[in-house]
Amino acid sequence: MRVTALSLAGLNLCGLKEYRLSLVGLLKNEQPELAVLPALTGPALAFGSGAIPHTAGLREAFTACMEDEGPFRQAYLELHSSVARELKLYLAAGTIFEKGGGRVYHIAYIFDPEGSICGRQRQTHLTRFQRELGLSRGEELDLFQIGPYKAGLIIDNDARHPETGRILALSGANLVLHCGALQGELNCWAQAAGMWSQVQQNQFWAVEAQLNAVLGGSLFGAQCAIIGPCEITPGSSGYLNRGAPGKEAVTAELDEERRKKLTSAYPILKLLNPSAY
Amino acid sequence: MALDGWKEKLFQRYLVWSCRPERVRSYLLNTVKPDLRSAQRPLDRKVVRAAALQLELQFYKSPLDYAAAMHDRLAEAVERGANLVSFPEYNSLHLLGLLPGFEAMEEAYREQDAGEKPEGSAKESAAEDITIDALFRYMSPIVKRLVPAIYGTLAHAYGIYVMAGSYILADGGNLVNRSFLFGPDGKLVGSHDKVHLMVIEKEWDLVRGSSFPVYDTALGRLALPVCMDATYYETFRAFEAGDADIALLPIANMESYNYWLALRGVWPRVQESPVYGVKSALVGSVAGMQFTGRAGIFAPLELTPREDGILDEVEPFDKDAIALADLNLEALHELKREHPWRDRNPALYKRYFPRLYLETREQESR
Repeated sequence: MRVTALSLAGLNLCGLKEYRLSLVGLLKNEQPELAVLPALTGPALAFGSGAIPHTAGLREAFTACMEDEGPFRQAYLELHSSVARELKLYLAAGTIFEKGGGRVYHIAYIFDPEGSICGRQRQTHLTRFQRELGLSRGEELDLFQIGPYKAGLIIDNDARHPETGRILALSGANLVLHCGALQGELNCWAQAAGMWSQVQQNQFWAVEAQLNAVLGGSLFGAQCAIIGPCEITPGSSGYLNRGAPGKEAVTAELDEERRKKLTSAYPILKLLNPSAY
Repeated sequence: MALDGWKEKLFQRYLVWSCRPERVRSYLLNTVKPDLRSAQRPLDRKVVRAAALQLELQFYKSPLDYAAAMHDRLAEAVERGANLVSFPEYNSLHLLGLLPGFEAMEEAYREQDAGEKPEGSAKESAAEDITIDALFRYMSPIVKRLVPAIYGTLAHAYGIYVMAGSYILADGGNLVNRSFLFGPDGKLVGSHDKVHLMVIEKEWDLVRGSSFPVYDTALGRLALPVCMDATYYETFRAFEAGDADIALLPIANMESYNYWLALRGVWPRVQESPVYGVKSALVGSVAGMQFTGRAGIFAPLELTPREDGILDEVEPFDKDAIALADLNLEALHELKREHPWRDRNPALYKRYFPRLYLETREQESR
């Protein structure tokens, strides 16, 4: 399967139409069967398009997004649904803030090639900043089908919490999509401590989309990557492909047969010792 | 040729006798350098100077030669101020040199591993008649005598904590891979049986440990996981629950060295569960198995000067070396109190883990 992680760099965020046009152009160029947008794609587009006024501070900017009552959310979902349908691909549409049951969640949606929602995932582990903002934690991690793959979504800070990857792996996931947004300039170690580490201890594939943008005056500058178990990646690095900050997209082909051979020879999950936990 | 004939039993008795603790202690007490005691940092729970030893496999013909070599490596660390010194996994493999004919056996194992066994030859029988687990069982009473005699004596002589590495030992009818910690009084503080075994260790008939002990010491709360235990985040979550400050991890990585392969293990674990990680490594080869390093001392990114999670890491992956660093326990506690991104979601864990772990256990028993 051909997969692409997008960073938002190079996309025109000035309006929904402009964004759609540039996104479709980029995806036509990369030709993936699955594409993943980074966390905070919703807020970035809301501010860029003027749907929500862009404020100076990150806290104020996110608060404004969390208070949005829905018109932008609807347009956002319809836009990505139509892109998935037009290009006949699976599209994880980054994240937005969403109200539900009197709470606000950080959530990602994924669309199938028909443009229907085939999966959604709330962030389950919040940073101190996110807790202070008033976000709530999701309490489920579900799998959905992406072609031949059983897939799960890991949102933002969930990448640094290994329970998320383990739940997905033991539930049968062989592919994890990560919508990420790491504040600050690139620190490859902070990234490796997230999805790279989750992949190595669960032996699934991961498509890591990291936001490259400035929001509320704060830089988000990590790098997109396609990650696999070290043994089946070039130089045993764990990376099938990764891009420098500012690169629009990173694409790679997943070879599931190789992964299956590896997990048969070195079955990390079968060597767990649950009686001890 | 099995190892339960009368000649072998007689030789084993000789080895046990030659490794008697009073002989080893007496030898070491004549070897230690009392003036080095002044080089080390005082024992306290604020800053610990830890050393992770990387040892190249050598096969010693005498237990005293082994004791002397371990002393010399430890003394190098003490000379640089270490008050916590950590030895590698399989630290008894050096003692296979005590066995007569070991070189021929080792060569036969190596050839067997490389698919070069000459059929019907003496070399073939040496490798095939004596299994690895039989060797570990045979050496077990010798190792059990030597470990406290050497590492307890050295810990006491220098007034430091010594994680003696890990050893494959018979425990009743079982074989376990067990690490040991000795205190400055020379007494055993505690041990840890490897909870996650490699496939090859299962083939050797080892039995898994079932707990994650954390020991309260004058240098903070110490855990002693063994190698593959650090492949699993569950190990370090258990240590976190036990308020561990430092995880002392002996390793013997059975693979050609690769930076990324070696990065897996303790480095990601200390990022997930904030503790210091001290990785001591056995390097070299025996019986067709190649072990590579690198020893190092690791910490959460937030506590390392370059924000890379590394306080010190030795350069060679196949030679003797020492990694050394000061571990600031107060800074660790402060980070845990004010952590910027860590969170817990008990409702999520309760929803999934009991069922998923139960299913894993059921699959295992089928």
